[in-house]
Order: sequence, then structure tokens, then C-alpha cells
Amino acid sequence: MSALARAPQPLRVRQAVAWALALALGAAVFQLANWSWTALPRVSPLEELAYYPSGQHVRPATLGHEETAADLAWIRAIQYYGQHRRTDNRFDHLYHVFDILTTLAPGFESAYVFGAFALAQEGRNFPFAEALMLKGLDRNPRSGRLAFELGFLYYVKPNGRDLGRAAEYFELAALLPGRRDVARRFAAFCRQNSGSPAVAYALWQQVRETSPNAYLRELAEREMARIHDAMAAGRNDLVRSRLSTPVVLLRESAPAGQGTKRNAP
Amino acid sequence: MNVTLIARSTYLEAIRDRVLAGVIAAGVALLLVTLIARPLAMGEGTRVTIDLGLSSITFLGLLVVLMVGTSLVAKEIERRTIFNLLSRPIARPVYLVGKWAGLSAALWTVAAVLGLALWTLLAALGHAGAALSIAEAVYLAGLELTVVTSIAVMFSALSTPVLSSLYTLGLFVVGQWSDDLRRFAADAPAGMRGLFEACANLVPNLSLFNMRSLAASGEATSVLHLGVATGYALLYCACMMALAAAAFESRDFK
Repeated sequence: MSALARAPQPLRVRQAVAWALALALGAAVFQLANWSWTALPRVSPLEELAYYPSGQHVRPATLGHEETAADLAWIRAIQYYGQHRRTDNRFDHLYHVFDILTTLAPGFESAYVFGAFALAQEGRNFPFAEALMLKGLDRNPRSGRLAFELGFLYYVKPNGRDLGRAAEYFELAALLPGRRDVARRFAAFCRQNSGSPAVAYALWQQVRETSPNAYLRELAEREMARIHDAMAAGRNDLVRSRLSTPVVLLRESAPAGQGTKRNAP
Repeated sequence: MNVTLIARSTYLEAIRDRVLAGVIAAGVALLLVTLIARPLAMGEGTRVTIDLGLSSITFLGLLVVLMVGTSLVAKEIERRTIFNLLSRPIARPVYLVGKWAGLSAALWTVAAVLGLALWTLLAALGHAGAALSIAEAVYLAGLELTVVTSIAVMFSALSTPVLSSLYTLGLFVVGQWSDDLRRFAADAPAGMRGLFEACANLVPNLSLFNMRSLAASGEATSVLHLGVATGYALLYCACMMALAAAAFESRDFK
């Protein structure tokens, strides 16, 4: 009897035992993993952002892979934004993160735009948003997109539009490659409302002469007529529109940098 | 008893290997490099030192697992020393468990030495108070390496060293993303949610062993966390060993 007990088991039995054990243990591991996810507090990896080195120093550390590092930083920045958007709506390190990112990749236009609008609208930090966009324009002086977006940032500036500066950058955008038509229209609208009807007239005229869009040309003619009449009557106030409070919302599910909803003039 | 003997010989073999000495030297060098990186850290030099020191334990340990662990069984087959062992009354699962235990012990040694080096450096910088959080983080890193070793031994019993390394590395990477998988599952469409959650439960939950961020801010974790992590590591390793045994039993050595 004892000899039988000590005899080696057949291969199939040993394998069946091993598989049964593996399955039972696997099920236990599965349950434990599931339970621990709900029961244990998780350490937020975003804490690490607090000690991101400065972009100036991190650039040499990437050993020639600045863009790759910037892409990783971009993913991290989006995670940071998303995490805080869902939880506490505090964006203490947002400027720092985007500053590093744009130092690593100075031509990364989406990073400037997204970072600036997130900072201004949700981070409630307009000076940092402005600084980020100005940095972008400084590094990319030929970018019509950045000039336009900076104009738009001034146009929707929380607690009061800055139409003068908005018009200045829309005009710049109109001279650069990119969205020239729209930039001219925005510039004209800003000038008109900031009290420069003569400049607005000239800008609308440019729109009428250069736009391939018939509706836009029609709008330009209408506005030119209004400005002309107002100037002839010496009543500049007649051409000013009543501007509503600027609102820029970032849609819940919109991908980063693409979610700006604008109240265009 | 046989398990202890095999584990002991595996441990001694790993300790004598130059790879281990090299790894410890690299870990210490990396700690010293953090001294240079301190001024770049915007006043958070201590955090960077702790974080990099703890990361180096995991990554260098992983390197040992990939270089030594994945060829543990294959090397024995190649040298034909496995015949001497398996011709004796040693069950194949016992042999595998012995190999895993021996290499795990070597990795615990690496983790302990590097953890001690990290604490010594911090003490020299005037931050000796972080001892508890570092000890806990090193303990969890040791558990993590033990789990990865079990995966490596399982693949080593099944496949070639190169493929074992790739599979082990793949599972390590996916294991690091297990929490992200769950977050992704929460946002996924209803039909896919269950699938993602199941995947997150099946891959090694290595996020459970990560308290680097916590340690970097000088905080300690809960006893519950340490207990769950220990239990999880033991269960996962046992599961991997059972799978390895199931596959290894039918392997025919020529």
C-alpha cells in the first residue's frame, strides 16, 4: 500500500493537477486584483509633475530625441489636464508642463494653443496663457495660426475683452499664411467695436476684395455701408455691436486642442 | 528539501555571476548621478533622488531577470546538466520552484543592497527620516521582481531564452499599465468594458507594487496595502509556477 502511494503518478494526472492548480490560483489572483482596485487607495502618478525639470535643462538630457520627449510630455500634459478636469479643477503645474513641452518642441503649435486656452479659461490664469502664446509667436513668427489664436485669446479674455490687442494679432494673422480671410473679418469686427471705424472700413474692404466667399463679401459690403453712414453722420457708436460675454467652452469629450467652441462675430 | 538545495545553488550561481555585480555598480552610479541632477529639479532634489533610486532597483532588477532568469532552464538544457538533476528523484515542479526561489533571493539581495545605498545617500544629505517609506518601497519592488521572475521562469520552461525575454518584457510593460487599462475600461463602451477589465485582472498588476511617488514625498503606505501586495505576489507566483509545471511536465529532453 505504501509502495503504491509512493509510486510516481502518470504524466496525465500530474498535468491535470498542475492545470487545475493554475486555474484555481488564476481565479484567486483575478479576484484579488479586482478587489484591490476598489479597496486600495491609488497613488497618483501626476505627483511627479511637481518636480519636472525645466525645459532648458531637460533638452540636453533627451540626447537628440527632443521631439520624442516632447510627445511623451504632451501625453503627460493631457493626462494632467484630464485628471484635474475630472477631479479638483486645479491646474497648478499646467504652465510649467506646457513650458517644458514647448521648449522641447518650439514648433508644436497645438501645445501653445491648447495650453493657453486651458490656462486662461479653466486655470483662470490669463497672464500665463498670454505668456505661453507670446512665447509661441516668438518661436514661430511666421505662424498665422498662432497669431490668429492669440488674437482670439485677447478676444475672449475672461473679465473683459481686449479688442485692441485682439485686432492687432488678427491683422498680423491676416498677413501670414493660414486663415487670412477669417482673420481679416475678426480684425475688422474688433476694430469696429474698439472704436476705430476707419480701420474697420479698410479691413472690410479688403475682405470684400479678396474673399472667395460670396456670403462673406456680402457681409463686408453691408458692414462697409453701415460704417460709411455712421461716419458721415459723425455717429461712430452706430456701428458698434453689443458684444456678449466671451465664452469658450472645452467640450467634455473633445480631443485635446480641438475642443474650443467659439462665438464668432 | 530538494527545493532548498536547488534554490541555494541557483542563488550562489546568480550571486557569483558578474551581471549581478555590474547591476549593483550601475545602481550605485545612478544614485550618484542624481546628485548632479539635483539642481535641475526645481528644489525637489530629494524627491528625484528617491524616485530615481527606487526606479533603478526595478529596472536593474528587470535587467537581471531578462539576462539570467529567462535562460535559467535553457542553459541547463544546453549544458545537459538538467539530466543529472531530473534523473534523480526530483519532481520537475520542484526543480522549477527551486530555480525561481534561488533567482528571487538573488534579486532581493540586489534590492536590499541598492535600497541601503539609497538610504545611506539620503542620510548623508540629511534626509535619514525617509527610512520607513524607502524600506516599504524596496520591499514592494522586491515583490514586483519576484513576480516578474516567476513569469520569466514560466516562459523559460516553455521557450527559447530570446523569446522568453521578449514575452517577459511584454508582460512587464503591460503589467505597468494595468491601472491605466482599468481607467480605459471605465471610459470604454459597455460591451468592451468587461473585456478590458478582465485583461487588467489577468495581466500582472504591477501597479500594486509601485509606491515610488508616495516614498518620494516621504509618506508610508498602509499595512493593508503591504498585506494585499504580498498575498497577490504569492498567489501570482504560485499560479505561474503551476502553469510552468503543467508545461514542463510534458517536455521531452533529448
